[in-house]
Amino acid sequence: MGTSNLEIVQSVGIDIGTSTTQFVVSRLTVKNVAPGSLVPRFAITDKEVRYKSDIHFTPIDSNNRVDADKIFALIRSEFSRAGVSPETIDTGAVIITGETAKKENARSISGKVAGFAGDFVVATAGGKLESIIAGKGSGASDLSRRDYATVANIDIGGGTANVGIFKNGKALDSCCINVGGRLLQVDQSTGRVISVSEPMKSILEDIDLGLRPGERVSLEILGRICRRMSMVILECLGTGELSALAEQLLMTAPLRLDYDIDRVMVSGGVADHVYAPASSMAITDATRYGDIGPLFGMELARLFQARKVPMAEPTETIRATVIGAGAQTVDVSGSTILADDAVLPFKNIPVAIPFSDTLPGDETAIAKGVAQSIDNFYENDSLDKIAIGLTGNQYLSFKEIQVLARGLLKGLDPVIRAGFPVIIVLEADIGKVLGQSMKAVNGQMNIVCVDQLLVTEGDYVDIGKSIAGGTVVPVVIKSLVFETKQI
Amino acid sequence: MNLRSKINNQIFTFKSVTDVLAKANNEKSGDALVGLAAETATERVAAKLCLSKLQLKDIYENPVIPYEEDEVTRIIYDDVNTAIYKKICNWTVSELREYILSSKSTQNELLNISRGLTSEMIAAVAKLMSSMDLVYASKKIKVAGHCNTTIGLPGTLSFRNQPNHPTDNVEGVLASLKEGLSFGCGDAVLGLNPVEDNVENFERVMMAIVGVKEKYEIPTQCCILAHVTTQMQAAKNGVPVDLMFQSIAGTESANKAFGISAAMLQEAREIALKLGTSTGPNVMYFETGQGSEISLDCHHGVDEMTLEARTYGVGRRYSPFMVNNVSGFIGPETIYTGKEVLRADLEDLFMGKLHGLPMGIAPCYTNHMKADQDDQEMGTMLCAMAGANFFMGVSGGDDCMLNYQDTSFHDDASIREILSLRPAPEFEKWLEKMGIMENGKLTDRAGDPSIFDK
Amino acid sequence: MDNQIEKDIVESVLAKLLEQGILNPSAKATPATEAATGSTVDTDSEPVTLEPMDFIGIENPNNLEALKVMRKSTPARILMGRAGARQRTASLLNFQADHAAAVDAVFKDVSDEFLAEHNLFKVRTIVKDKDEYLMKPELGKKLSDETKREILDKGDKGKQVQIIVVDGLSSTSIEANIADVMPALIQGLETQGITVAKPFFIQYGRVGVMDEVAPLMACDVIVQFIGERPGLITADSMSAYMAYRPDHNTVEAERTVISNIHRGGTPPAEAGAHLATVVKKMIDNKVSGVKLAELMR
Repeated sequence: MGTSNLEIVQSVGIDIGTSTTQFVVSRLTVKNVAPGSLVPRFAITDKEVRYKSDIHFTPIDSNNRVDADKIFALIRSEFSRAGVSPETIDTGAVIITGETAKKENARSISGKVAGFAGDFVVATAGGKLESIIAGKGSGASDLSRRDYATVANIDIGGGTANVGIFKNGKALDSCCINVGGRLLQVDQSTGRVISVSEPMKSILEDIDLGLRPGERVSLEILGRICRRMSMVILECLGTGELSALAEQLLMTAPLRLDYDIDRVMVSGGVADHVYAPASSMAITDATRYGDIGPLFGMELARLFQARKVPMAEPTETIRATVIGAGAQTVDVSGSTILADDAVLPFKNIPVAIPFSDTLPGDETAIAKGVAQSIDNFYENDSLDKIAIGLTGNQYLSFKEIQVLARGLLKGLDPVIRAGFPVIIVLEADIGKVLGQSMKAVNGQMNIVCVDQLLVTEGDYVDIGKSIAGGTVVPVVIKSLVFETKQI
Repeated sequence: MNLRSKINNQIFTFKSVTDVLAKANNEKSGDALVGLAAETATERVAAKLCLSKLQLKDIYENPVIPYEEDEVTRIIYDDVNTAIYKKICNWTVSELREYILSSKSTQNELLNISRGLTSEMIAAVAKLMSSMDLVYASKKIKVAGHCNTTIGLPGTLSFRNQPNHPTDNVEGVLASLKEGLSFGCGDAVLGLNPVEDNVENFERVMMAIVGVKEKYEIPTQCCILAHVTTQMQAAKNGVPVDLMFQSIAGTESANKAFGISAAMLQEAREIALKLGTSTGPNVMYFETGQGSEISLDCHHGVDEMTLEARTYGVGRRYSPFMVNNVSGFIGPETIYTGKEVLRADLEDLFMGKLHGLPMGIAPCYTNHMKADQDDQEMGTMLCAMAGANFFMGVSGGDDCMLNYQDTSFHDDASIREILSLRPAPEFEKWLEKMGIMENGKLTDRAGDPSIFDK
Repeated sequence: MDNQIEKDIVESVLAKLLEQGILNPSAKATPATEAATGSTVDTDSEPVTLEPMDFIGIENPNNLEALKVMRKSTPARILMGRAGARQRTASLLNFQADHAAAVDAVFKDVSDEFLAEHNLFKVRTIVKDKDEYLMKPELGKKLSDETKREILDKGDKGKQVQIIVVDGLSSTSIEANIADVMPALIQGLETQGITVAKPFFIQYGRVGVMDEVAPLMACDVIVQFIGERPGLITADSMSAYMAYRPDHNTVEAERTVISNIHRGGTPPAEAGAHLATVVKKMIDNKVSGVKLAELMR
C-alpha cells in the first residue's frame, strides 16, 4: 500500500558490435506483484519491444577505430526515427561488444553515448555479460525454463562467438571465443582479401594457410577456414579435447562442462545462415557482405547436423544482443528499501563482498571486514564510491541488524568522511530496517540500501533514480564486465 | 397448525414455523451464536416432533422470510410447480420423510415431487433424518450435468483440480495442476481460486490453465473462481470462460453482501451461453455453505441449515453444472466441531440432491475449528457413499492459499478405488491415453507430475 | 524476474518449513519428558525427525529436473509420492505435525514469561475462554469498564501512536515475531520524531478491539499486531492492522493491513521498518485504509 501499483519504464538498448550497430526501445512494466494486503513487491512483469532499428554497419574510421562521432549521429537519428526523446528514457544499456570492445576508444564511445540520455546505464560488455545478454535476447533462457532443459546459446557476430549456458532460466556458465564472420574481409566483386584480423592469422596458421590482403581467395579455402572455426566452437562445447587453436581463441576460461547440454541455439548475425542454410553457395554469395559470415553459418549448420547436435530455433537472431540489452539487463529492487534519491543515479559502482559465508556476530569484526574489503579495492588510491554487497539469506533478528548497522558504519568510516554515500546491496530482505538502523545512528548520511539482489565479487552495479513513489529503484548488475582476456 | 409438543412430560411451545425449524436443527455453533438454537437436548427433539406433524402447507404458508421482502423467497416460490405442490401439500413432514425413504421411491419419483417442494420443506425433512437416513436418501438421486463433458453419471466420481498458490504464480499453479492430473483429478473442472480478483489476473491464470488443457487435449472444463462480475468482463474481453462461478447464499441481503442479485446471475448465465467457450447447457458453478448468512449478519432470524436449503433454491433456477458445498470453510462461529461439519455435509448433500442439483461436497475444515483430517476423510467417505458427484482435489489435502484442509489428490484416487467408482468417461479415456489409469486403477506412472514434461 | 522473486519467496517458505521440521516437538523433547517415558530411553542418540518438506518422494520419476523446479515453485504439498493411492508415512506425519502446530497456535495462550520479557502488561476482552472467543467473534472487540480503567492506569495516554499486541488466532505468531517487529517499528517511528505510547497485550482480541482502545488512549494511530488464522504452511504468520483515530464508527475499509509477517514471508524486522513509513503517511495525511491507498496512487 501507499505506492502506485504500476509503472512503465522506457528502456533503450544499443549494441555496438564488430560488424553492426543496432538500437531498440523497449517498454518494461514494473508492477506490484504482491497480492492484497502483503507488503508491496515490485517486479518487471512485461517487456515489449516498441522499436527496432535497421541493422547498421558499425562506422569505422580510417585508423580502423570505431568512429565515435558517426555512432553519435547514428544514434541521434535513431532516437528521432523511434519518435522517442532521449530525456524520456528511464534506463537501458549500451553494450559495446565483440571486437569493438577491444578497440582503444570503446570507452570513450560509451561515455559519449551515455551523455545522450542522462540517467540510463552504459556498459562496455565483456564476453561473459554479452553471452548472457544474447542468450536472454535469443530466447535460450526462456526455452531452458520452459523445457527444464540445459540450453547453450551461441551468439556469433563479426568478431566473437559468445556462448551462454542456461538452465531453468538462469545463466549457468559462459565463454567467449574469438571466431566470427568478419575476421576475414573479402571483396565480393574481386574475390580478393581486404583484411585479415589478428585472430584470423592464428586460424590460418593452424590450417597451414597464408593469406594476405590483396590475395585472391577460393571458395574452397574459405570453406576450410569456416569449417575450422566451426570445429573450434564444437570443441568449446565439449566435443573432444580442446585443440591448441581453441585454447588460443578462447577469450575467457573455457566452459566448466560439469553439466550436459540438451539443446543448442545459435543467434547473432551468422545465425540466419545456420537456420536457413543454402545447400551450396557461390563465392559471390558467400562474400556478399564483404566477409565470410554467410559461409560460416552454412558450414556450422553442416557440422552440427553431421555431429547430430540437438538444435533449437531462436526467437531472435541478429537482434538477440540488442534486445537482451534493452530489455533483459534491468532488475528492480523494492519496495522495502531505503534510498536517498538525491544521490542517485549511480553508475559502475564496484561491489566489495567483505564476507564470503556467514556474517561475523560482532560489530568490530564486521567493521574490520568491511574496511579490509574497501582497502582491497582502493589500496593507496584515492577513495571513490563503493557498494558493500552482503550475500546470504540467513535470518537476522532486530538485535543482529543493529550490530550489523553499527559495524558497517564503522567500517565505512573513511568512505563516509570522504563525503561518499553509504551503498549497501543485500540478498536478504532487510534493506529498509538496516537503512533505518544506520539512519538512527547518523541521520545526516546519504544512504542507499537495496535488497533481494545477489551480487558477487567483481560485479559493478548501476542504480537508477527511484520510481513508483520512491519505493523501487532500477538496478543493473554487471557481472564480470571487464574480465575479457585481451589478445 | 400445532406449534406445541410434549415430550418426557415437558410441554414445549414454539413461536413460529421458523422457530420450530431452528430448534429442530442439529447442534451448530452458528444457531447458538444468534440465539436460535434449542437450549436443551429435549427441546431439540420436541421441535423435531412438532415439525414432524406440520403439514407441508403449514411451511408453505409461513415463509421464513416474507415473499415481499426477500428476492430469495420469491425465487423459491415462483419456481414451485403448483400442480405437484397441491398433490402433496397435506402431507406431514414425517410422511414426506417416509415417502423419500420408501423403497418404491426412486430418482424419478423424488425429482418429480422436488418440483413441488419449497426449500424450507426440504430443510424440514432433512431435520428429521439421521446420518444414515441422509446417506440412504441421497444415494437415490444423482443428477448429471454437461458442460464440455458430463459429470455425475451413475458409477462415476469426479474431482475439481484445485491448484491454488499463495501468489497466483503460474509455474507453481501448473506444478500442482499437473500433480493432480497425474492422480486422475480434474474431470469436474480445473478450477483455481485466484488471490487477486481482477480481469487482468483472471486472464493471466486462465490462459495458463487453458494452455495445459489444450496442450494435452484434456476433456474437461476450466474455471477461475473470481467474482462473477470479473468473469463476465473477462468473457466480454474474449478470455475463454467455460463455467461461471459464484458463491451464493440463502437471503437477498447476504447475496447483496456477496455483490450479486438474481438479475446478475441471470446475466452471467446468458453471457456464459453467448460468449463462453463450453458446450453447455450447464454453465454455472455455485458454492454454498451453512452459516455464510450468519457470518455476514444477514440471517433474518432463520437457522443456518434452512438458509442453506434456500441457497439451493436460488441455485436450481440457473441449471448449474456443479454445486459445491463448503460448510466447513465458514468458521467456528457457524460450525465448530468435526461432528457439526459431518452432519452439515450430509444434510447439504441430501438437500441439494432433493433440489435436483448436481451436488458435490468439500468436506473441509479450518485450523480454528475442533476438527481434523480424520473428520475430513470420514466426510469424504460418507458423502461418496451417498453419491456425491464430485469432491475437490487439493495437493496433500492442504490448500496453501486459502489456508484450510480439504480432500487430497490421494483421497480422490483412494475413494474411487474403495467404492469402485470411475472418472467421467471421456476423462477416463484420456487418463488411459496418458498412461495414468488402467481398468480404473492408477498405473505405476500415476502420481508423477513430470510425466507431462519431456 | 517476477518468477525469480516468487521463487525466492517460496524458497524461503520452504526453508522455514525445514526449520519447523527440525523444531518439531518430537525433536525438541526435553530430557525431563524423556525421563518420564521410562528408564530405558537412550538420551545420547539423536532423536528422530520429520522428513524435510522439500523431499521428493516420487519413485522413478519421468523427469527429476522438472520436479526439482516444481518443488521450488510452490509451497503446496506436491511431489510426496504415494503408497498405493495413500500418502507415504513420512508425508502423513508431516501433515499431522503441521496441523498440530496450527492447532496449538490457536488454542494455546501467549505465555506470561513472554509478556514479562517484552514489558507488555496484559488485559483481556470480555471473552471468558477460548471456545467463547472462537464461537462469538463480536465479544473479542469489547473491553469492560474495569479493563479500560486498568489500561488508563498502566498505559500512557496522549501519544501519537499506540501499539497493541493481540493474540488473535495464533499465539505462536506473537511469540515468534514481536521481539523483532516491535523495536524496528518503534525505531522507525522515533527517528521520524513520532511519539509512541507504552505497548500492551490484549488476550482474546479481534481486530475491532482497536476501536475501543484508540479513543481511550487519545492516540492518532493504532498499530495492532494480531495472530493470523494459521495454515499448515506456517502457524507463525502475523498481521499488522492500522487505523487513523479509529472509533465505533470505523468500518473495515478504513483500516490498513499488512499481512504475512513471519520469517518465511516479510521478515518481522523489515516489516516493522515498513510499518513505520506507513504510519508516518497516516499521520501526515490524517487518513488510513482505502483512502490512504488511493491518496498514494
